[in-house]
Amino acid sequence: MSRTTTAFTIGIKEQARNYVLVALLVVLPVSFITLAFAVTQDVEMPVRTLVDGETVTVMRGMPEVHGVIMTPITSALIAGLAGLFLMREAKDTDGRLAVAGYRARQVITARFGVLAAITLIVTGVSVGVMLVDFQPEHLWWFVAAMLVVSVTYGLIGMLVGAVFDRLAGMWLMLILPMLDIGLFQDPLFIQSEPEWWMKLLPGYWPVRVMVDTGLTTDVDTTLSLVWATGYLLLVAVLTIGVYYRITQEK
Amino acid sequence: MGLAQMISARAADRRLVQTGYPPRTLLATRLAALGGVTVVVAAVNYGVLWLTISPGAPVLTFVFLVLAGLVYAFLGALVGALLPRLFEGSLVVVFLAMMDAFLSGDSPLAADVPEFVEYFPLYHPKELLQEAMFQGTYTTGDLGFVAGYLLVLLVLVTAVFGVTMRTSGGWSA
Repeated sequence: MSRTTTAFTIGIKEQARNYVLVALLVVLPVSFITLAFAVTQDVEMPVRTLVDGETVTVMRGMPEVHGVIMTPITSALIAGLAGLFLMREAKDTDGRLAVAGYRARQVITARFGVLAAITLIVTGVSVGVMLVDFQPEHLWWFVAAMLVVSVTYGLIGMLVGAVFDRLAGMWLMLILPMLDIGLFQDPLFIQSEPEWWMKLLPGYWPVRVMVDTGLTTDVDTTLSLVWATGYLLLVAVLTIGVYYRITQEK
Repeated sequence: MGLAQMISARAADRRLVQTGYPPRTLLATRLAALGGVTVVVAAVNYGVLWLTISPGAPVLTFVFLVLAGLVYAFLGALVGALLPRLFEGSLVVVFLAMMDAFLSGDSPLAADVPEFVEYFPLYHPKELLQEAMFQGTYTTGDLGFVAGYLLVLLVLVTAVFGVTMRTSGGWSA
Protein backbone atom coordinates (compact mmCIF):
# COMPACT_ATOMS: atom_id res chain seq x y z
CA MET A 1 0.00 0.00 0.00
CA SER A 2 1.45 3.39 -1.00
CA ARG A 3 1.98 6.11 1.53
CA THR A 4 -0.77 8.24 -0.03
CA THR A 5 -3.27 5.39 0.21
CA THR A 6 -2.28 4.75 3.83
CA ALA A 7 -2.73 8.41 4.77
CA PHE A 8 -6.03 8.55 2.84
CA THR A 9 -7.38 5.42 4.57
CA ILE A 10 -6.40 6.69 8.01
CA GLY A 11 -7.97 10.07 7.19
CA ILE A 12 -11.26 8.43 6.20
CA LYS A 13 -11.28 6.31 9.39
CA GLU A 14 -10.56 9.44 11.43
CA GLN A 15 -13.53 11.25 9.89
CA ALA A 16 -15.81 8.22 10.27
CA ARG A 17 -15.04 8.35 14.01
CA ASN A 18 -15.95 12.05 14.12
CA TYR A 19 -19.42 11.65 15.59
CA VAL A 20 -20.28 15.34 15.10
CA LEU A 21 -19.78 14.98 11.35
CA VAL A 22 -21.69 11.69 11.23
CA ALA A 23 -24.55 13.19 13.27
CA LEU A 24 -24.71 16.20 10.95
CA LEU A 25 -24.81 13.90 7.93
CA VAL A 26 -27.73 11.97 9.40
CA VAL A 27 -29.75 14.83 10.90
CA LEU A 28 -29.25 17.85 8.66
CA PRO A 29 -30.44 16.63 5.23
CA VAL A 30 -33.77 15.45 6.61
CA SER A 31 -34.30 18.38 8.96
CA PHE A 32 -33.33 20.98 6.34
CA ILE A 33 -34.37 19.58 2.96
CA THR A 34 -37.37 17.37 3.77
CA LEU A 35 -38.71 19.97 6.19
CA ALA A 36 -38.37 22.72 3.57
CA PHE A 37 -40.55 20.76 1.13
CA ALA A 38 -43.02 19.82 3.87
CA VAL A 39 -43.74 23.18 5.45
CA THR A 40 -43.37 25.74 2.66
CA GLN A 41 -46.62 27.34 1.53
CA ASP A 42 -47.76 25.73 -1.73
CA VAL A 43 -48.10 28.83 -3.90
CA GLU A 44 -46.50 29.92 -7.17
CA MET A 45 -43.86 32.61 -7.01
CA PRO A 46 -41.71 34.54 -9.52
CA VAL A 47 -38.17 33.23 -10.07
CA ARG A 48 -35.54 35.07 -12.12
CA THR A 49 -33.54 32.67 -14.26
CA LEU A 50 -32.05 32.23 -17.72
CA VAL A 51 -34.30 30.96 -20.52
CA ASP A 52 -32.89 30.88 -24.07
CA GLY A 53 -30.02 33.11 -22.97
CA GLU A 54 -32.32 35.82 -21.62
CA THR A 55 -32.95 36.56 -17.94
CA VAL A 56 -36.69 36.20 -17.49
CA THR A 57 -39.11 35.72 -14.63
CA VAL A 58 -40.94 32.39 -14.53
CA MET A 59 -43.54 31.19 -12.04
CA ARG A 60 -42.60 28.15 -9.95
CA GLY A 61 -43.93 26.49 -6.79
CA MET A 62 -42.44 27.96 -3.62
CA PRO A 63 -41.71 24.52 -2.05
CA GLU A 64 -39.66 23.53 -5.12
CA VAL A 65 -37.67 26.78 -5.09
CA HIS A 66 -37.11 26.51 -1.34
CA GLY A 67 -36.03 22.87 -1.69
CA VAL A 68 -33.63 23.69 -4.52
CA ILE A 69 -31.95 26.27 -2.25
CA MET A 70 -31.92 24.20 0.94
CA THR A 71 -30.16 21.27 -0.77
CA PRO A 72 -26.90 23.14 -1.56
CA ILE A 73 -27.05 24.94 1.82
CA THR A 74 -27.11 21.57 3.60
CA SER A 75 -24.32 20.15 1.50
CA ALA A 76 -22.13 23.27 1.67
CA LEU A 77 -22.60 23.50 5.43
CA ILE A 78 -21.55 19.91 6.13
CA ALA A 79 -18.70 19.98 3.58
CA GLY A 80 -17.49 23.28 5.05
CA LEU A 81 -17.42 21.84 8.56
CA ALA A 82 -15.64 18.72 7.26
CA GLY A 83 -13.00 20.96 5.65
CA LEU A 84 -12.64 22.83 8.93
CA PHE A 85 -12.12 19.60 10.90
CA LEU A 86 -9.62 18.34 8.31
CA MET A 87 -7.50 21.47 8.47
CA ARG A 88 -7.53 21.53 12.27
CA GLU A 89 -6.32 17.92 12.33
CA ALA A 90 -3.77 18.61 9.59
CA LYS A 91 -2.36 21.50 11.64
CA ASP A 92 -1.76 19.12 14.52
CA THR A 93 -0.43 16.06 12.69
CA ASP A 94 0.65 16.56 9.09
CA GLY A 95 3.90 18.33 9.93
CA ARG A 96 4.93 15.13 11.71
CA LEU A 97 4.17 13.09 8.57
CA ALA A 98 6.72 15.23 6.73
CA VAL A 99 9.27 14.46 9.45
CA ALA A 100 8.42 10.75 9.04
CA GLY A 101 9.39 10.95 5.38
CA TYR A 102 6.14 11.80 3.61
CA ARG A 103 6.45 14.11 0.62
CA ALA A 104 4.23 17.18 0.56
CA ARG A 105 2.28 16.03 -2.52
CA GLN A 106 1.52 12.66 -0.86
CA VAL A 107 0.02 14.29 2.22
CA ILE A 108 -1.82 16.90 0.14
CA THR A 109 -3.28 14.23 -2.15
CA ALA A 110 -4.41 12.18 0.85
CA ARG A 111 -5.99 15.13 2.73
CA PHE A 112 -7.74 16.55 -0.31
CA GLY A 113 -8.79 13.04 -1.29
CA VAL A 114 -10.50 12.69 2.09
CA LEU A 115 -12.29 16.01 1.54
CA ALA A 116 -13.34 14.90 -1.95
CA ALA A 117 -14.68 11.59 -0.60
CA ILE A 118 -16.64 13.30 2.19
CA THR A 119 -18.03 15.85 -0.27
CA LEU A 120 -19.18 13.07 -2.60
CA ILE A 121 -21.01 11.37 0.28
CA VAL A 122 -22.54 14.64 1.52
CA THR A 123 -23.68 15.61 -1.98
CA GLY A 124 -25.06 12.13 -2.59
CA VAL A 125 -27.04 12.14 0.66
CA SER A 126 -28.36 15.69 0.13
CA VAL A 127 -29.45 15.06 -3.45
CA GLY A 128 -30.88 11.67 -2.47
CA VAL A 129 -33.00 13.24 0.26
CA MET A 130 -34.13 15.97 -2.16
CA LEU A 131 -35.15 13.40 -4.80
CA VAL A 132 -37.77 11.99 -2.41
CA ASP A 133 -39.75 15.23 -2.83
CA PHE A 134 -38.47 16.82 -6.01
CA GLN A 135 -36.94 15.76 -9.32
CA PRO A 136 -34.79 18.45 -11.00
CA GLU A 137 -35.36 18.94 -14.72
CA HIS A 138 -31.70 18.07 -15.45
CA LEU A 139 -30.48 15.90 -12.61
CA TRP A 140 -26.82 15.48 -13.62
CA TRP A 141 -26.28 19.17 -14.30
CA PHE A 142 -27.83 19.84 -10.92
CA VAL A 143 -25.54 17.27 -9.28
CA ALA A 144 -22.49 18.77 -11.04
CA ALA A 145 -23.31 22.22 -9.65
CA MET A 146 -23.93 20.67 -6.22
CA LEU A 147 -20.52 19.02 -6.29
CA VAL A 148 -18.80 22.25 -7.32
CA VAL A 149 -20.45 24.33 -4.57
CA SER A 150 -19.86 21.62 -1.95
CA VAL A 151 -16.17 21.17 -2.78
CA THR A 152 -15.75 24.96 -2.88
CA TYR A 153 -17.25 25.26 0.60
CA GLY A 154 -15.20 22.28 1.80
CA LEU A 155 -12.05 24.13 0.72
CA ILE A 156 -13.29 27.36 2.28
CA GLY A 157 -13.79 25.37 5.49
CA MET A 158 -10.14 24.33 5.26
CA LEU A 159 -9.08 27.96 4.81
CA VAL A 160 -11.18 28.98 7.80
CA GLY A 161 -9.63 26.13 9.80
CA ALA A 162 -6.18 27.49 8.99
CA VAL A 163 -7.00 30.78 10.69
CA PHE A 164 -9.64 30.06 13.34
CA ASP A 165 -10.05 27.39 16.02
CA ARG A 166 -12.81 24.76 15.91
CA LEU A 167 -15.46 26.83 17.68
CA ALA A 168 -14.95 30.15 15.87
CA GLY A 169 -14.55 28.25 12.61
CA MET A 170 -17.79 26.41 13.20
CA TRP A 171 -19.71 29.65 13.68
CA LEU A 172 -18.22 31.06 10.48
CA MET A 173 -18.96 27.92 8.49
CA LEU A 174 -22.55 27.93 9.72
CA ILE A 175 -23.11 31.56 8.85
CA LEU A 176 -21.31 31.75 5.48
CA PRO A 177 -23.42 29.27 3.45
CA MET A 178 -26.60 30.49 5.15
CA LEU A 179 -25.96 34.08 4.11
CA ASP A 180 -24.48 33.33 0.71
CA ILE A 181 -26.78 30.61 -0.63
CA GLY A 182 -29.76 31.07 1.69
CA LEU A 183 -30.06 34.82 1.39
CA PHE A 184 -27.95 36.50 -1.31
CA GLN A 185 -28.44 33.82 -4.00
CA ASP A 186 -31.96 32.79 -3.02
CA PRO A 187 -34.51 33.79 -5.70
CA LEU A 188 -37.13 33.94 -2.93
CA PHE A 189 -35.33 36.96 -1.48
CA ILE A 190 -33.35 38.48 -4.38
CA GLN A 191 -35.88 39.14 -7.09
CA SER A 192 -33.99 41.77 -9.08
CA GLU A 193 -30.47 41.95 -10.53
CA PRO A 194 -28.05 40.94 -7.71
CA GLU A 195 -25.57 43.54 -6.44
CA TRP A 196 -22.01 43.20 -7.80
CA TRP A 197 -20.64 41.91 -4.51
CA MET A 198 -23.21 39.11 -4.35
CA LYS A 199 -21.71 37.79 -7.61
CA LEU A 200 -18.33 37.45 -5.92
CA LEU A 201 -19.65 34.98 -3.35
CA PRO A 202 -18.91 31.24 -3.79
CA GLY A 203 -22.58 30.33 -4.24
CA TYR A 204 -23.41 32.74 -7.07
CA TRP A 205 -22.47 30.69 -10.16
CA PRO A 206 -23.42 27.20 -8.86
CA VAL A 207 -26.83 28.37 -7.58
CA ARG A 208 -27.57 29.97 -10.97
CA VAL A 209 -26.96 26.56 -12.52
CA MET A 210 -29.10 24.81 -9.92
CA VAL A 211 -32.04 27.18 -10.29
CA ASP A 212 -31.83 26.90 -14.08
CA THR A 213 -31.34 23.14 -14.34
CA GLY A 214 -33.61 22.36 -11.40
CA LEU A 215 -36.58 24.48 -12.38
CA THR A 216 -36.51 25.01 -16.17
CA THR A 217 -36.57 22.56 -19.06
CA ASP A 218 -33.55 23.94 -20.99
CA VAL A 219 -29.93 24.18 -19.84
CA ASP A 220 -28.83 27.80 -20.25
CA THR A 221 -26.10 28.01 -17.66
CA THR A 222 -23.20 26.03 -19.10
CA LEU A 223 -20.99 29.09 -18.88
CA SER A 224 -22.01 29.63 -15.25
CA LEU A 225 -20.82 26.10 -14.46
CA VAL A 226 -17.50 26.92 -16.11
CA TRP A 227 -17.18 30.06 -13.97
CA ALA A 228 -18.13 28.06 -10.88
CA THR A 229 -15.41 25.52 -11.68
CA GLY A 230 -12.90 28.34 -12.23
CA TYR A 231 -13.85 29.77 -8.82
CA LEU A 232 -13.36 26.31 -7.31
CA LEU A 233 -9.90 25.95 -8.87
CA LEU A 234 -8.88 29.37 -7.57
CA VAL A 235 -9.97 28.45 -4.04
CA ALA A 236 -8.22 25.06 -4.41
CA VAL A 237 -4.90 26.68 -5.35
CA LEU A 238 -5.21 29.10 -2.44
CA THR A 239 -6.06 26.27 -0.03
CA ILE A 240 -3.15 24.09 -1.19
CA GLY A 241 -0.80 27.07 -0.72
CA VAL A 242 -2.11 27.76 2.79
CA TYR A 243 -2.06 24.07 3.69
CA TYR A 244 1.53 23.69 2.44
CA ARG A 245 2.62 26.72 4.46
CA ILE A 246 0.85 25.64 7.64
CA THR A 247 2.16 22.07 7.66
CA GLN A 248 5.66 23.30 6.87
CA GLU A 249 5.61 25.50 9.97
CA LYS A 250 5.44 22.46 12.26
CA MET B 1 -23.82 32.92 26.23
CA GLY B 2 -25.86 30.68 28.56
CA LEU B 3 -24.02 27.66 27.30
CA ALA B 4 -20.57 29.29 27.47
CA GLN B 5 -21.30 30.67 30.94
CA MET B 6 -22.19 27.23 32.29
CA ILE B 7 -19.25 25.44 30.70
CA SER B 8 -16.51 27.98 31.34
CA ALA B 9 -17.47 28.39 34.97
CA ARG B 10 -18.02 24.70 35.66
CA ALA B 11 -14.59 23.82 37.07
CA ALA B 12 -14.32 27.02 39.11
CA ASP B 13 -17.86 26.60 40.43
CA ARG B 14 -17.11 23.06 41.58
CA ARG B 15 -14.14 24.33 43.59
CA LEU B 16 -16.24 27.14 45.06
CA VAL B 17 -18.86 24.59 46.12
CA GLN B 18 -16.13 22.50 47.75
CA THR B 19 -15.00 25.54 49.72
CA GLY B 20 -18.51 26.01 51.02
CA TYR B 21 -20.38 28.21 48.55
CA PRO B 22 -24.05 27.22 48.27
CA PRO B 23 -24.70 26.02 44.67
CA ARG B 24 -27.95 27.99 44.51
CA THR B 25 -26.09 31.23 45.27
CA LEU B 26 -23.56 30.42 42.57
CA LEU B 27 -26.28 29.60 40.09
CA ALA B 28 -28.10 32.82 40.97
CA THR B 29 -24.98 34.88 40.23
CA ARG B 30 -24.44 33.04 36.94
CA LEU B 31 -28.04 33.59 35.88
CA ALA B 32 -27.94 37.23 36.99
CA ALA B 33 -24.87 37.80 34.83
CA LEU B 34 -26.66 36.03 32.00
CA GLY B 35 -29.68 38.28 32.51
CA GLY B 36 -27.44 41.36 32.28
CA VAL B 37 -25.87 40.16 29.05
CA THR B 38 -29.32 39.33 27.65
CA VAL B 39 -30.50 42.91 28.33
CA VAL B 40 -27.44 44.30 26.50
CA VAL B 41 -27.96 41.96 23.54
CA ALA B 42 -31.67 42.83 23.44
CA ALA B 43 -30.76 46.54 23.47
CA VAL B 44 -28.45 46.09 20.47
CA ASN B 45 -31.12 44.10 18.61
CA TYR B 46 -33.75 46.68 19.50
CA GLY B 47 -31.49 49.42 18.14
CA VAL B 48 -31.04 47.59 14.83
CA LEU B 49 -34.79 46.92 14.64
CA TRP B 50 -35.59 50.53 15.43
CA LEU B 51 -33.47 51.71 12.49
CA THR B 52 -35.88 50.07 10.06
CA ILE B 53 -39.25 49.82 11.87
CA SER B 54 -40.78 52.07 14.46
CA PRO B 55 -42.39 49.84 17.13
CA GLY B 56 -45.99 50.48 18.17
CA ALA B 57 -45.07 50.04 21.87
CA PRO B 58 -41.31 50.60 22.28
CA VAL B 59 -41.01 49.54 25.94
CA LEU B 60 -43.11 46.40 25.48
CA THR B 61 -41.12 45.51 22.36
CA PHE B 62 -37.87 45.80 24.29
CA VAL B 63 -39.19 43.79 27.24
CA PHE B 64 -40.40 40.99 24.94
CA LEU B 65 -37.04 40.94 23.16
CA VAL B 66 -35.41 40.48 26.57
CA LEU B 67 -37.87 37.66 27.36
CA ALA B 68 -37.08 35.88 24.08
CA GLY B 69 -33.37 36.24 24.86
CA LEU B 70 -33.86 34.93 28.40
CA VAL B 71 -35.67 31.82 27.15
CA TYR B 72 -32.70 30.92 24.98
CA ALA B 73 -30.16 31.98 27.60
CA PHE B 74 -31.77 29.52 30.03
CA LEU B 75 -32.01 26.87 27.31
CA GLY B 76 -28.31 27.40 26.56
CA ALA B 77 -27.52 27.12 30.26
CA LEU B 78 -29.50 23.88 30.43
CA VAL B 79 -27.67 22.44 27.41
CA GLY B 80 -24.38 23.61 28.93
CA ALA B 81 -25.16 21.84 32.19
CA LEU B 82 -26.20 18.62 30.42
CA LEU B 83 -23.58 18.63 27.66
CA PRO B 84 -20.51 20.40 29.01
CA ARG B 85 -18.66 20.64 25.67
CA LEU B 86 -18.53 24.03 24.03
CA PHE B 87 -18.31 22.84 20.42
CA GLU B 88 -21.00 20.16 20.54
CA GLY B 89 -23.23 22.24 22.83
CA SER B 90 -22.97 25.22 20.47
CA LEU B 91 -24.04 23.06 17.55
CA VAL B 92 -27.07 21.82 19.49
CA VAL B 93 -28.12 25.35 20.55
CA VAL B 94 -27.53 26.83 17.09
CA PHE B 95 -29.57 24.21 15.27
CA LEU B 96 -32.28 24.31 17.92
CA ALA B 97 -32.55 28.09 17.59
CA MET B 98 -32.45 27.95 13.79
CA MET B 99 -35.21 25.37 13.51
CA ASP B 100 -37.26 27.12 16.20
CA ALA B 101 -36.96 30.54 14.54
CA PHE B 102 -37.76 29.02 11.14
CA LEU B 103 -40.83 27.08 12.25
CA SER B 104 -42.17 29.66 14.72
CA GLY B 105 -41.62 32.60 12.42
CA ASP B 106 -44.97 32.93 10.56
CA SER B 107 -43.08 32.88 7.27
CA PRO B 108 -44.57 31.62 3.97
CA LEU B 109 -41.49 29.37 3.94
CA ALA B 110 -42.85 27.64 7.03
CA ALA B 111 -46.61 28.01 6.63
CA ASP B 112 -47.79 24.41 6.87
CA VAL B 113 -46.39 23.72 10.32
CA PRO B 114 -47.95 21.28 12.80
CA GLU B 115 -49.83 22.65 15.81
CA PHE B 116 -47.20 21.54 18.33
CA VAL B 117 -44.96 24.34 17.02
CA GLU B 118 -46.76 26.63 19.47
CA TYR B 119 -44.93 24.81 22.28
CA PHE B 120 -41.55 25.73 20.77
CA PRO B 121 -39.46 28.18 22.85
CA LEU B 122 -39.71 31.11 20.46
CA TYR B 123 -43.33 30.79 19.38
CA HIS B 124 -44.98 32.85 22.15
CA PRO B 125 -42.16 35.41 22.51
CA LYS B 126 -42.53 35.97 18.76
CA GLU B 127 -46.31 36.42 19.13
CA LEU B 128 -45.76 38.94 21.93
CA LEU B 129 -43.13 40.82 19.97
CA GLN B 130 -45.21 40.92 16.81
CA GLU B 131 -48.25 42.28 18.65
CA ALA B 132 -46.22 44.89 20.52
CA MET B 133 -44.47 45.96 17.31
CA PHE B 134 -47.50 46.29 15.07
CA GLN B 135 -50.46 46.87 17.39
CA GLY B 136 -48.82 48.23 20.53
CA THR B 137 -50.57 45.65 22.74
CA TYR B 138 -49.96 42.19 24.17
CA THR B 139 -51.96 39.07 25.01
CA THR B 140 -51.86 37.93 28.63
CA GLY B 141 -52.04 34.28 27.59
CA ASP B 142 -48.83 34.58 25.56
CA LEU B 143 -47.10 36.38 28.41
CA GLY B 144 -48.21 33.71 30.88
CA PHE B 145 -46.93 31.00 28.57
CA VAL B 146 -43.49 32.64 28.32
CA ALA B 147 -43.36 33.16 32.09
CA GLY B 148 -44.25 29.49 32.60
CA TYR B 149 -41.63 28.44 30.09
CA LEU B 150 -38.99 30.48 31.89
CA LEU B 151 -40.04 29.04 35.25
CA VAL B 152 -39.84 25.45 34.00
CA LEU B 153 -36.41 26.11 32.46
CA LEU B 154 -35.24 27.73 35.68
CA VAL B 155 -36.32 24.69 37.70
CA LEU B 156 -34.59 22.36 35.24
CA VAL B 157 -31.37 24.42 35.18
CA THR B 158 -31.33 24.55 38.98
CA ALA B 159 -31.85 20.79 39.25
CA VAL B 160 -29.19 19.90 36.67
CA PHE B 161 -26.75 22.47 38.07
CA GLY B 162 -27.27 21.00 41.54
CA VAL B 163 -26.49 17.51 40.30
CA THR B 164 -23.38 18.60 38.39
CA MET B 165 -22.09 20.57 41.39
CA ARG B 166 -22.67 17.75 43.87
CA THR B 167 -19.36 17.13 45.61
CA SER B 168 -19.77 14.19 47.97
CA GLY B 169 -23.32 13.05 48.05
CA GLY B 170 -25.27 16.28 48.47
CA TRP B 171 -25.36 20.05 48.74
CA SER B 172 -22.29 21.27 50.53
CA ALA B 173 -24.22 24.00 52.27
